[in-house]
This record gives sequence, structure tokens and C-alpha cells, in this order.
Amino acid sequence: MIDLDHVSKQYENGQAAVDEISLHVDKGEFVFVVGDSGAGKSTLIRLLLKELEPTSGIITVNGKVLNTMKRRGIPRYRRKIGVVFQDFRLFPEMTVYENVAFAQHVVEERGSVIRKRVPETLKQVGLASKYRSLPGQLSGGEQQRVAIARAIVNRPDILLADEPTGNLDPHHSMEIMKLIEEVNSQGTTVLVVTHNRELVNQFQKRVILMNKGAIARDELEGGYIEA
Amino acid sequence: MKLRSLGYQIRQGFRNISRNKMFSVASVATMTASIFLFGALVAILMNVDSLRESLENRIGITVFFEKNTEEKRVEEIGKEIRKLNHVTSVTYTSAEEAWEQYKEEYFSDNPELAEGFRDNPLADSASYTVLVDRIENQDAVAEKITAISGVRKVNRSSGAAENLQTFNRFFAFGAAAVIAVLLIVTVVLISNTVNMGITVRREQIAISKLIGATDSFVRAPFIVEGLILGLIGSLLPLAVLYLLYSRIVISMLRQFGFLASMGNVLLSANYVFQFLLPCGVLIGMGVGLIGSVITVKRHLAV
Repeated sequence: MIDLDHVSKQYENGQAAVDEISLHVDKGEFVFVVGDSGAGKSTLIRLLLKELEPTSGIITVNGKVLNTMKRRGIPRYRRKIGVVFQDFRLFPEMTVYENVAFAQHVVEERGSVIRKRVPETLKQVGLASKYRSLPGQLSGGEQQRVAIARAIVNRPDILLADEPTGNLDPHHSMEIMKLIEEVNSQGTTVLVVTHNRELVNQFQKRVILMNKGAIARDELEGGYIEA
Repeated sequence: MKLRSLGYQIRQGFRNISRNKMFSVASVATMTASIFLFGALVAILMNVDSLRESLENRIGITVFFEKNTEEKRVEEIGKEIRKLNHVTSVTYTSAEEAWEQYKEEYFSDNPELAEGFRDNPLADSASYTVLVDRIENQDAVAEKITAISGVRKVNRSSGAAENLQTFNRFFAFGAAAVIAVLLIVTVVLISNTVNMGITVRREQIAISKLIGATDSFVRAPFIVEGLILGLIGSLLPLAVLYLLYSRIVISMLRQFGFLASMGNVLLSANYVFQFLLPCGVLIGMGVGLIGSVITVKRHLAV
């Protein structure tokens, strides 16, 4: 599903954010990517979204080599990937329903499909009753649920979550992680970037520890232990 | 972009406008001023041109013959003139007819004065009145007629029409310059409006791209916004202009009765707007489109 072969990303100032990484993630896997700030976790996500180009190495996702992918092929590729951010990045002037429906409009889905799938997805994340609320009227945990609904409404093959619990208290963090686990149980490959030690240790999933841009440890059913 | 997204994109375009009210109003106001001026100037140009055409149809070349030219030769001269390029009509006026017309024109109040003339004083005034298709061809035609043997004199009377044509040309140049400046200002303003929208929605654009929006999907609402601003900014002044123009025509015909007697010198509002409406709307929407396209292109590296 996801293959990185000796991938490096060096920024213009010469700093190597990702250094010679090689890893393989199978279809349906749940992977935590952990590490301190500046370890290269977010750069990894941005490389997988083809927001950044690797300086060297080959990235293959869903059988497609990202290095050779043409610009006009990027939207179609991204439609198979759901993204969740630490700061939710919802549209404040749109209702919960509109925020989720937006992702469907982006992929130019039929109106009848949108009207069916958005309420279904909101029900799945437990926000069916709040579809008319604006993001500002919701708690942090609820806002992240909306963001997850937006990320999964297009039924992506992969869900990338960049510090999804970074702005949440422990209770809401647990709720969000359970929701992401549920998405994974339905077959979606999940990659969660986090530095929430407790959560990682609690879920006992595959853990990739990054340190200074390199993979320091890669363990199945691992825990978050410093490098 | 798929057709089924069109409705959504149009709604987004309207949303952009309402979120961006101040700039939208400014753009529409400038566009309104530009299109109003454009419409007014075009209406004037069309009317002056119609007046010129009407004069062209009345003003002809008068061809007089050498003394004692035989009737047969006069007929031949007529045939030769008819064969010339640009000639649309040739009418013969005999010396008797010329005298009758003269009497009617100058002695209608005192017919007894005319009776003082025993012979026709205009005996040598038989003539052809030649009309040409366009006023600018009159000189060339007159020259050719002068060269025909048996022709004594050729009178041209195209001064008024020529003056009108010159006026129309200068007026058109001036008007085009003013309109061009105004349209450029409008493009800049629309570009500013769209630019504001883009700045405000940078985050939305970035997220759209990450979710998998195509370039055209991101651009579409801004293009729709420019087109709508252009449409409103052109329909508004054209509607006002239509009402104003209709009233002006009616009041001018009332005040200057001779205009009505000259035929269709003042063009009807419907006639003028048959041309002006599609032209104005096209220009408005075109300017809106250009304003938004150049801004989107400049600011969205999508």
C-alpha cells in the first residue's frame, strides 16, 4: 500500500527533514509515527500527500510512484487519501454538514450521493444531531470529529492524521483515537503522527519511532519508548 | 470540471460576492459607469451615423450637359453613368421640370412674378441627379462623370454628410479612448475584488487542494464571481440607459418636429438596444472574466 525506498527530503537551508527512510505499510494496517518535534513526522505526511517532493528516493502509494506523477494526476491521487490535521482546519463559516459535504463537492460527487453519504458519515462520527452547527459552536473533540468525517466521507484507502489529538484533552483524545481505530477496522489503512505517549502505549499498534529524520525503531504492537 | 458541479460552483460564486460586499459593490459601480458611458456613446454614434446615411440618400451629384446636347446623347450619358461603380440611382430632370420646381420653390407665394418669364430661363438646366452608395465614393464618381463627353458641369453637395462623417470618426476615437480607460479601471477593480476573496480564502483553497480538488474546481467560483459582477454591472446601466434613451427620443421628436418629417433619423430604443444589449453584456462579462482570470492565475499556484 505505502512504500518508501531510501527517501530523503532536504529543505533549501540544507536541513534534512527526512533522511534515507525506507518503510512498507500494508493495506489495512494501523501505524503510529512517533517522535519529538522536528523528527520529520509531518514532513513524512506531506511527502505522502505529494505536497512536497523528495530530494531522493522513491515513494509508491497504491501502486503509483509519486515521483513521476504528473501535476494533473495529483487531485485524483489525493481523493484516495483522507487527511486530519491537529488544528482541524474546518471552514468556520460553513455548517458541520457543509464542511463534510465540501469534500464530496471537491470530488464532484452526485447530489443524491452527497445527501445520502454526509448524514451517514456524521452518524458514524456521532454528530448526526449537530449537522447545522457552525464549527465555532462545537468543542475541540467535536470539531475533530467533523474533520474526521470530512476525511472519510469520500471512502479513502488511506487516512493520514497529523497530531489529531494535539489540541484535545485526554478524554476527547481517547474518543478520537477510538473513532480512527473504527475507521481502520473497516479496511482503511491508517497512519497517525503523534507524540501522545499514553495513547500510543494504550492502543498497542505498529509504532515507527522517528529521530532526526531517520527511523530509529519500527515495532509491531510496540509502545512509545524514546530512541 | 463536471457539469453537475456547475450549480454548486455558481452558488459559491454568489457566496463570494456576498462575503465580499464592499469590493463587489465598488466593482459593480465602476462597471456600471463604464458600460453606461459606453452605451450612451454608442447610442450617439449610431444616431449620428444614421443621420449621415439619411443625408447620403438625399444628397446627390447633379450633372449638367453642354449647350444643345441632343436628347439621344443625354440618354447615352445616363447609360454611361449607370454603368459606373457605386452609382445607386440616376434620375433625369428636364429643363421644364427644373423650372417648375424652381417656380414652386421661389414663386409659390407670388405666381404672377413667374409669368414675367416668357421662355424657360433654365433652358440649359436639364440634369441627372446621381446618388452613390457611400458618401466617400462621391468624389471618384463625380470625376468619372466629368470626363464623359457632353457633360458641362458636375455639382457635388456632400459637404454636410462629409462633415458628419468626420465628426463621427473623431467622436468614435475619443469615445473609444474614454471607454478603454474605463474598462481597464474596471478590470483592475474586479481583479482587486477577486484578489480579496482569494486572500480571505487561502486556507480553504489549500484544504481543497489537499482533499483532491482540481485546478478548475478551485478557480471556478472566482470566475463565476467575475462573470456575475460583469453581468450585474452591465445589465444595470443598460436598463437605465434604455429608459432614458426612450424618453429622450420621445421628447426630441416632440420638440423638434422636423426630425420626424426626415424619416428614421432618430433611431428607436429597440433598434439601438438590439445591438447595445448583447454588446454591453458581452463586454461586461468579458471584463469580469478577464479581471478574475488574471487574478486567479497570478495568485493561485494551483
